[in-house]
Amino acid sequence: MSMTTEALELHQPLLSVRDIDKSYGGLRAIDGVSLDIEGGEIVALVGDNGAGKSTLIKMICGALRPDGGEIFLRGKAIAFGSPKDATDAGIETVHQSLGLVDTLNVPENVFLGREKTFRVLGLFNQLDLSAMREETRKLLERFGISVPTLNEPVFRLSGGQRQTIAISRLLLSEPSLIIMDEPMAALGVDEGRRVMDLVVNLRDQGIAVLMISHNLEHVFKVADRIAVLKNGRLVGVVATSDASRESVVSMITLGTA
Amino acid sequence: MSTTAADVRSGGSKDIGSADRRFRLEGLGLTLVIIALGIMFTLINPRFASIDNFLNILTQASTYIIVAMGMTFVISKAGIDLSVGSTLAVVTCVFFGFIDGGMPWGLALIIMFALGAFLGAINGLMVAFLAVPALIATLGTMVAYRGIALLHSSGKLYYGLPPEIVWLGQGRLFGIPVPVIMAAIFVAFCWWLFNRTRFGLHCRSVGGNREAARLAGVPVSRIEILVYTFMGVCVTIGGLIWMARIDGAQATLGTAMEIHVIAATIIGGTSLFGGRGTIYGSLAGAILLTMLNNALVIAGVEFFWQLVAIGVIVVIAVTVNNVRENRIVWLDTLRARRKQAQRGARAA
Repeated sequence: MSMTTEALELHQPLLSVRDIDKSYGGLRAIDGVSLDIEGGEIVALVGDNGAGKSTLIKMICGALRPDGGEIFLRGKAIAFGSPKDATDAGIETVHQSLGLVDTLNVPENVFLGREKTFRVLGLFNQLDLSAMREETRKLLERFGISVPTLNEPVFRLSGGQRQTIAISRLLLSEPSLIIMDEPMAALGVDEGRRVMDLVVNLRDQGIAVLMISHNLEHVFKVADRIAVLKNGRLVGVVATSDASRESVVSMITLGTA
Repeated sequence: MSTTAADVRSGGSKDIGSADRRFRLEGLGLTLVIIALGIMFTLINPRFASIDNFLNILTQASTYIIVAMGMTFVISKAGIDLSVGSTLAVVTCVFFGFIDGGMPWGLALIIMFALGAFLGAINGLMVAFLAVPALIATLGTMVAYRGIALLHSSGKLYYGLPPEIVWLGQGRLFGIPVPVIMAAIFVAFCWWLFNRTRFGLHCRSVGGNREAARLAGVPVSRIEILVYTFMGVCVTIGGLIWMARIDGAQATLGTAMEIHVIAATIIGGTSLFGGRGTIYGSLAGAILLTMLNNALVIAGVEFFWQLVAIGVIVVIAVTVNNVRENRIVWLDTLRARRKQAQRGARAA
């Protein structure tokens, strides 16, 4: 899976980060990082606390502006002013807080902010609950997500189910890249596997995934490539198939490829 | 709970929504309480069960029902409105002032509704743009609006409405009091607004998780202003019925109304913590409270004891809700400890 320069010139990566920097006061949080993400691949972003993982994804999802460097989406330079710009360009982000309204049910959460309505008496817009429910069901079915109830508020669901709902609501806009911040954190074994199944499923349907994870076991199970950060610098990007866990651990801790 | 990827893919579609309940019996408990109390009151005093008394209770309840509808939206949005009673006093006194000044009642009515909406919107603007907590903002307007009502009326006791307005409070249509009909139509409208429109959904989403709602694209500030404006309109409708029913108004009208209305809403099951509410519950809550009042009056209990009863009922209702939602930490800890002790005993 390692790319030669020729292959790179032949086709555009989906997302290409070139030499970006970000400083907080005197601290260089991100220092000249370059990273490519192809359509339909899972890239795991690993590194110790404070390595700059969150800062990097925040710049990609439009929450932070880089101080220097460039980001290309399908070969076109982009400068996101807000997360909304990134969303419009097809980059969706699942934050650790999930962004679900616990008291609403599943279709209400999936469609919040872009509800389906129809006209009543030619005057009022009424929510099309059955259409939203049906589309939610189709969406969940397509990605193999199983949820026993759609009508209950989502706080009744388990952590893994909530995580999959949080991801699925982003799929409504057919994104090309989904960024996930620790999607499997604080989940049980079964629950974590459920989320990993979904991540693999997304890739199989052509959606690229960039995910932060601390759990190397999960990373080795699902990721196609692993990008290692240390002290704001990219230590290296390795294909999961030809990397050993020891080598990745030494990249994380020692910062040597 | 151990499912492999293959299981999920093949059987998953069947599972989606399989555990959904077709009919949700929310508010059933409250309905049973109303029926039980009704039977009890009838046993104590047979006069209670007459159709006349029943319609009388509904007529008395109509203002509270209508204001409780607005309060359901406000509390579901994780807000509160203490200024409802004072707003009611201002709009009714101003209306009477215009009528006394010789203004046609149609025009006075329009100004009354505009004023009610405006007074509500002030609450909304403070909450949305000045980040004043709803409790403080509406506590402030509760006092300020009462002051305005007193200033405007200068202690006057208004009476003598045009017959068209009096009909709204005292008239009957097919034998049913007009206030009851108006309340019924308004409740139906609010049920639709709350459960079937974007506005209702957005209120509930802002109350459930303001930040998530904002990120999902819900216009949070607009919803906040709208919901308090709507509250003001509800109060105006309620005030219209009230002053028409008694054919009079004064600046102290609607004193302690907020506690009744908030009580009705909370008893109905709307969560004080926001995000969840039920229109039917608020309706049932308002009827229950009025029924209780009515029974206490028939039994000859002093008005002041009724205030005591209402206060106690509010605290009980919130407590019951908290137990149901597992919000009481020490109770939770106690349960966990008991479970642990049982397990320990079994192991030994």
